Amino acid sequence: METPIYFWGVILWMIAWGVLGSVALNRRYMARDLDTSNVSFAGAMSGAALGPVGVGYLWLRTPALTPRLTTVLGILAVVLIAAAFAFADPQNNCVANGRFVASQISNGLIIGIIYGFMALGLTLIFSILGVVSFAHGEFYMIGGMLVYYITVIWVPGLNPMLGVLGACAIAFVVGAVFERLMLTPMYRGKVDRPVEYGILATFGLAFTLQYFVQAMHGASPVKVQRYVDFPRIRWPENADPHWISASRGNLTLFDTISISNPRFTAAITCIVVLLALLYLLHRTWTGKALRAVSQDRDAAAIAGIDPNRMNMLAFALGGMIAALAGALLVQAFSWLPQVGAIPAMRSFVIVVLGGLGSLPGAFVGGILVGLVEAAGTGCLPDAQKAASYIPAYGMIVLTLTLLLRPSGLCGRRFASGAHGQGG
Amino acid sequence: MTQGHAWRVLLGSAGALGLMAGAALAQDCPIKIGALAPLSAPGTVVGGEAMRDAMMIAEADINAAGGVLGCDIEVVIGDSEGLPERAVAVMERLITQDGVVAVGGGYHSSVGVASKDVADARGIPVVFAETWNDTITGDKQKYIFRIAPLSSWASATIWQFALTLPGIEKVAILTENTDYGIPASEETARGLATGDVESVIFSVDIGTQDYAGIVQRIIAEDPDMIITLVTGEAAYNFTQQAADAGIGPLDIPFVTGQDALESGAYWTNVPDGQYAFVQRIGVPESEFTDKGRAFAAAYKEMTGKSDVESYAMEAYDSIAILVQAIAEAGSTDGDAIVAALENIEHEGTLGTIYFPYGSAKDPSEDGRGDEWWHQWPDPALTMIQYQEEGQSSTDAAIVFPDAYKTAEPVLVNE
Repeated sequence: METPIYFWGVILWMIAWGVLGSVALNRRYMARDLDTSNVSFAGAMSGAALGPVGVGYLWLRTPALTPRLTTVLGILAVVLIAAAFAFADPQNNCVANGRFVASQISNGLIIGIIYGFMALGLTLIFSILGVVSFAHGEFYMIGGMLVYYITVIWVPGLNPMLGVLGACAIAFVVGAVFERLMLTPMYRGKVDRPVEYGILATFGLAFTLQYFVQAMHGASPVKVQRYVDFPRIRWPENADPHWISASRGNLTLFDTISISNPRFTAAITCIVVLLALLYLLHRTWTGKALRAVSQDRDAAAIAGIDPNRMNMLAFALGGMIAALAGALLVQAFSWLPQVGAIPAMRSFVIVVLGGLGSLPGAFVGGILVGLVEAAGTGCLPDAQKAASYIPAYGMIVLTLTLLLRPSGLCGRRFASGAHGQGG
Repeated sequence: MTQGHAWRVLLGSAGALGLMAGAALAQDCPIKIGALAPLSAPGTVVGGEAMRDAMMIAEADINAAGGVLGCDIEVVIGDSEGLPERAVAVMERLITQDGVVAVGGGYHSSVGVASKDVADARGIPVVFAETWNDTITGDKQKYIFRIAPLSSWASATIWQFALTLPGIEKVAILTENTDYGIPASEETARGLATGDVESVIFSVDIGTQDYAGIVQRIIAEDPDMIITLVTGEAAYNFTQQAADAGIGPLDIPFVTGQDALESGAYWTNVPDGQYAFVQRIGVPESEFTDKGRAFAAAYKEMTGKSDVESYAMEAYDSIAILVQAIAEAGSTDGDAIVAALENIEHEGTLGTIYFPYGSAKDPSEDGRGDEWWHQWPDPALTMIQYQEEGQSSTDAAIVFPDAYKTAEPVLVNE
């Protein structure tokens, strides 16, 4: 960084006005008996983005702090940070190299979609059962392992898509059976501390799955060849550069953004399955029943929905979603019995960031974490440290969000406090 | 034979038998020797499993040959997970609960750096097999020995090789944030600088899976060569993802991680890994000692692998040399074993192993640095290249140094 004093000066200015805005506006809105649920975040963003002008305006007018207003203020703050960074370090790749920026954004988006998809399963389980599944990473792991075993060991040459479907089906059954056998005592009043019981039971499942796979398979990394080959395309044929060019293992857009085949197919599949999941949740009786249970278990039971059956379905679906993420990524990454640890931790971060129990929040949180990680890795001037801090980038965003908006980006204030009980 | 002479022979034989029986009775049989190996992530499990298999072969070979001090040996393997804090706990457990009399093995440098103090404080001799960090012997601890090369020697092999390649002006180094990776990357960068080659270092956490962002950053640096100082499946992931992005071994000179020596796993995980360079410790298989050939045959039969990794040979030797030291010491006392190790000449799978510097002769007497303390000075270091797809590491071409060279390196960027 050529002139770090400008960048850090702006950051200090933003922090000072952000803290002032958050504290002062909280008091102001409380004194006027207005809704304060969003005021910490909006106050901090207005102070950080607009300084005394933003804080003064909100202080005087005390307008309703709509999501649109807070989003605009948040984007303004990010733009200000980016401008300060560009001014302080004009030679940085993130400032001077458009191709690099486009590649980092596409990488962040693609991996963020996959992060968000995996976190979706975790938040689905939490929203229905009120349990944080500590076995989520192991479902992710068995998804990839099952595809390897189905398509390479058990039925060599089998279409990988059938392997993916098989892995999903097995993970679904494992989730359903586990929920029936181990989690039902939690909501039948047989245990005094259902939350702790749920955590311990899923911990147990995590250890069982991980060490079972290690005992059966060993710990050598495996990988599956890519599921589909891209056709060779140059489109438009006579353009320079081509808008889209593809080889078997790679897709290039405008001769600028390069996306590897496994990531692209994984991200697209995640989007398709996400749409199917949204259809299930919003357009089918089963999905509506799941949502009803997540909102009010007793009312759902009165309406004829069996909450226990929904518990089983939610846990099985959540596990299957994690397994699908693993099944799609085993063509991109080397796979070990311990491969689920880091993605599981990231999913916890994303779920809290997005708001416990919020499906859209999980997906938005995933994309946000993917983009922040890409920005950190790409833009940090010290190359040696840029990649070392990858796990920290998500935690920084999480910490800021929890400070300013404890319920998360899209969280409900009371997201399933029933811990699966009722019905 | 006179009657008196017969009595003397009889008494002498009885005495010898009594001494042997006494030695055996004085020991708790079997004699337990500890071993460190990473058998769980984030450690390098591929390497850990290879070392475990090799040390099991060592145990079987030694017991088949009659054991030591009239006892069989038992190799007690502790899973270090590649984590220093775990290594300290495992070393404590091996010594205090399992009652080992000495410790071999060890893969990650951070494991060696953290656990050596525990062993030294408790007076238990350790022969580290594959931990490279210079400080492991550089601290000049009484009970700590090493048969792996120093990190600075290993780095020198890589940068000296890089300087022999034409057209290399800038090198990107990917390293892990460990006691192996950080010093190795700095030594490599310093060495490259002596040949006016610029370098840029990227460091990652051990076990990192996704390298997309780093790969783009490396592309933006436009390097002429990439050097990977990362262990385990992380190196597989990086190499294949770099290949997907057009900067892999098929595109520019590319040194991948040492675990590529397990060629079966390498080709499964890095299908586009042809022309990668890999550092290898030890001479080529054609120049193996008799013991090396016998071990290689037993190892291949046991594991089904087509080649034998250098860290497996080091692990085998680390157990075998400790057993020889116990035999020569005639005791499992730590001080006696150390005294025997300081004077040992062990015919191992890697060659004749000895430790020229120790309490009898300080490295400074020959103008050497402290890291030469209890350090085997002669491990052979080579660079190999996978010049054919699916090739085993045993068959791969040795391209550096000239003393071992079997083929010229294929330069994909020319």
